[in-house]
Amino acid sequence: MTPPHAKRRRRQLLSGVIVLALVAALPLGITDVYIQNILVLTVMYAALSQAWNILGGYCGQISLGHALYFGIGAYTSTLLFSKYGISPWVGMGAGGIIGAALALVIGWPCFRLKGHYFTIATIVLAEIGLLLFLNWDYAGAASGIQLMAVRDSWADFSFLRSKLPYFYFALGLAAVTWLVTFLIEESKWGYWWRAVRENPLAAESLGVRVFRSKMAAAALSAFFTAIGGSFYAQFVSYIDPESVMVFQFSLLMALPAVLGGIGTLWGPAVGAAILIPVSELTRSYIGGGGRGIDLILYGSLIMLISLARPEGLVGLASLFTRKSSPA
Amino acid sequence: MMSAETIVQILVSGLLMGLLYALIAAGLSLIFGLMDIVNFAHGEFMMMAMYATFGLVVLFSLDPLLVSPLVVALMFGVGAFCYRFIISHAMRAKTNAGMVQVFATFGLAIVIRGLAQFIFTPDYRSIPKSWLAGKTFDIGGIFMPAPQLAGALVSILAFVGLWLLMKKTDFGKALEATREDAGAVGLVGIDRNRIFALGWGLGAALVGLAGSVLAIFYYIHPDVGGTFALIAYVTVALGGFGSVFGALAAGVLVGLVEAVSATALPPSMKAVGIYAVYLLVVFLRPRGLFGHLS
Amino acid sequence: MPKTDRLNRRQATALLGGAVAGLPLGAARAQAKDIVVGGLYPLSGANAQIGVDAKYAYETALDIINNKHEIDLPLARTEGLPNLGGAKLQMVFADHQSDPQKGRAEAERLITQDKVVALIGTYQSAVAVTASVAAERYGIPFLGADTSSPSLHRRGLKYFFRAAPHDEFFTQAMFDFFDGLEKRGVKIESVALFYEDTIFGTDSANVQKKLAGAKGIKILADIKYRSNSPSLTSEVQQLKSANAQVLMPSSYTTDAILLMKTMAELGYKPPAIVAQDAGFSEQALFNAIGEQGEGVITRSTFSLDLAAKKPSVGQVNELFKARSGKDLNDLTARQLTALLIMGDAINRSKTAEPAAIRDALAATDMPGAQTIMPWRRVKFDETGQNNDCTPVLLQRKGPKYVTVFPAEYAVAQVSWPGLK
Repeated sequence: MTPPHAKRRRRQLLSGVIVLALVAALPLGITDVYIQNILVLTVMYAALSQAWNILGGYCGQISLGHALYFGIGAYTSTLLFSKYGISPWVGMGAGGIIGAALALVIGWPCFRLKGHYFTIATIVLAEIGLLLFLNWDYAGAASGIQLMAVRDSWADFSFLRSKLPYFYFALGLAAVTWLVTFLIEESKWGYWWRAVRENPLAAESLGVRVFRSKMAAAALSAFFTAIGGSFYAQFVSYIDPESVMVFQFSLLMALPAVLGGIGTLWGPAVGAAILIPVSELTRSYIGGGGRGIDLILYGSLIMLISLARPEGLVGLASLFTRKSSPA
Repeated sequence: MMSAETIVQILVSGLLMGLLYALIAAGLSLIFGLMDIVNFAHGEFMMMAMYATFGLVVLFSLDPLLVSPLVVALMFGVGAFCYRFIISHAMRAKTNAGMVQVFATFGLAIVIRGLAQFIFTPDYRSIPKSWLAGKTFDIGGIFMPAPQLAGALVSILAFVGLWLLMKKTDFGKALEATREDAGAVGLVGIDRNRIFALGWGLGAALVGLAGSVLAIFYYIHPDVGGTFALIAYVTVALGGFGSVFGALAAGVLVGLVEAVSATALPPSMKAVGIYAVYLLVVFLRPRGLFGHLS
Repeated sequence: MPKTDRLNRRQATALLGGAVAGLPLGAARAQAKDIVVGGLYPLSGANAQIGVDAKYAYETALDIINNKHEIDLPLARTEGLPNLGGAKLQMVFADHQSDPQKGRAEAERLITQDKVVALIGTYQSAVAVTASVAAERYGIPFLGADTSSPSLHRRGLKYFFRAAPHDEFFTQAMFDFFDGLEKRGVKIESVALFYEDTIFGTDSANVQKKLAGAKGIKILADIKYRSNSPSLTSEVQQLKSANAQVLMPSSYTTDAILLMKTMAELGYKPPAIVAQDAGFSEQALFNAIGEQGEGVITRSTFSLDLAAKKPSVGQVNELFKARSGKDLNDLTARQLTALLIMGDAINRSKTAEPAAIRDALAATDMPGAQTIMPWRRVKFDETGQNNDCTPVLLQRKGPKYVTVFPAEYAVAQVSWPGLK
């Protein structure tokens, strides 16, 4: 690594730590339960979108079926906990591994598909997952599974009223996915993925194992997404197929990354920080009328950002940094 | 076990519905073939057409069939408008153009749904009486409802018309040329932007036609687009993006598979049949049945 | 630009303020002395109309409580809540978008920010699952106005109440009706079950299968279909082939419309239809299918023709209709009644403290005559469920539904093939 490059990397790492510290300190000033809930959701989506970004942004394989892994994670830990009393922490890990394994199984035939064919295949596979769980009585089918906690417990990762443990876990997950992204950006894999994204044929001819790259990206992405799903199940204490495996969820995992800056380090976090509070606040304070105004606002915002700033919002920040630092 | 009559009925119903799916998918396929954009607001365009049909029928006490050409023209305008003021901006993106378009149209879809809820309220509407509604032809024990039959006919005619348009008219040839090489057509005097706008108009008009036919026998609601959207995308991909004929073949196939799956599998899982067919086809033919080599 | 063409700053601020004030803010703050109850409903998305209608129902109930009306209902003849110095009852609504997580977030928001003393909702049972747990944890009473899943009151919650019947009551009423037919010489031997695949449909079908099995009734078709399918022709064809004596659908409005239309298109007319309400109690269905709806039977918690014996029903319906343009139906009647029960409990609590309201609810013993419903009374058992809420069966005759069962509420004879 050449010195200016190393300096940039150190600066990125430093900024990551600073942002983490600032966000971690937020609950000190914000005690309103509802706002804390928004914070939890925001960092959760930042983590999920960061995980999605590994496959979609860096590797260029646009999946709109990530809700499948989210749901698998949620159901794995919840079934293990509710039926066998296995700790959700263990269940989370199990969910992550199953998610990753599933991604590999799916990737095997799917990665020969290109562009929109691949994307539609991911959508369709997630829908199949949804339908299977909707009709699987052991997993509760449409009624879902409810986890009734009676006391706060770290061992069971369930808390009756406090949002803070959930917030810090989700923040931790977001930090881990951010760090993973940071590390792979400069790794051999990172270079391979960029090559695959830009020009798969050329990459292949240069010795990049295209297929293996995609599989690795998919497994990593699915692993973290599934952990996010387990987290969500513990957070809400109730899951049913329609709330964890629907297409809308897949879109919500991709949207922050796309609007924030697909394939960038900070894109998903920036995108989540804007989209989630906006959608929550418009629903809560404007949605109560039943007239659809919150939808109009939310949709317009998405359109505005994608049209005005196609490279994502992160690009805006670089306008300032470019001026202040030497080339 | 099922009688032969039941099996034939199921297949006939599936065929009729499939032709309608094909018509819904046609516009999506056209737009994609032209400029590599998947219009995520496609279902909402159809919903707009359904409301427009409903509105005109109620306002002027006309039959939906009579109102339909007006709706189609209206939707043409909507499509061209969307291209001119929204999509053309999305295409200027230097990076991630594909994703930007998806989400720009996704945002558009949400806005259209919100507007529909605002203007029409979320209540369910139906066209009360029309010439075709409620009539059904009983041919040898096989029932063919008049609206679906008309829809199937309209669909076939539309595809024939589309084929003639693409092969025999200058506009069609310009469309084809722009599809082949959008960069180069400027050299032969074709205004790329104009072609794109007209292409969007045509795509919207086709789904508008489907919507106005659907409005005769289906309920109308701000979210009705979502019910058909996923099937439309799968149909287009199955047929091969960019191939209008592929959309026809795939639509029919999807309609038949849906009908059969509802009896072979538990009906709540019938979509799995459609999805399995899609996956099977693209695993063997990664560009769908008739997809173009790009 | 000349000065006259520009808005001066004062005008601009006034305009902006006016625009903001004109926005339908769901979380409008109530007046200082008012008692606030929270309402959780879907106000956007596919079920938004349910939320809109629910608001009309609740606003009608608020009108009855807060203003003087000559109606024979608790709190109608007074203005506001008498035991609380005439304080008015208000409601703030929140949109849960049919999502359990969002429902919980909104419940928490209403409790901690709007300081509601009680919650009512939610139409979807899945949302009630999480919202009622949140209410429990904050010690806020939760009244399930219109959620019919049988498991909701069986979770050991102390703050959960449900005045209306759940699916087991409803389905039992249907099969009691079949028993009644048998006594009059028409034996029900076969049914076809047609139900959507979410909680409502599957819960309903489970009870129907159990009761049918217990009575030895054959289930010739057991069709679970995907809700909001674009096409139901195969499913209906299977129903047609099965040719059961009674079709028993459990469907929401969109599917109900599609079901009935597809049946007409395929030439399938079952001898009888006994529906699990939902879509079959919505006017939108009958607007869509016209005469085909003649003779359809549905279970319900409410019927308009009760007005013949109970004037309050007609009076309340007029108030509701003035607001919404529709008659009261099974859902809106339950919602309105729930708020009246809640208002009565808040009044009896004397302090409007949530814990006191909870105890007042638990002590409720309201005779059915004091409600607009065909219920014996409102009295919650130790799980929070009211067991004296008699469902009725309605049959479509002409442009409206009439009560045909049970005999004490029936205003007309049921039309049934083979019945004299």
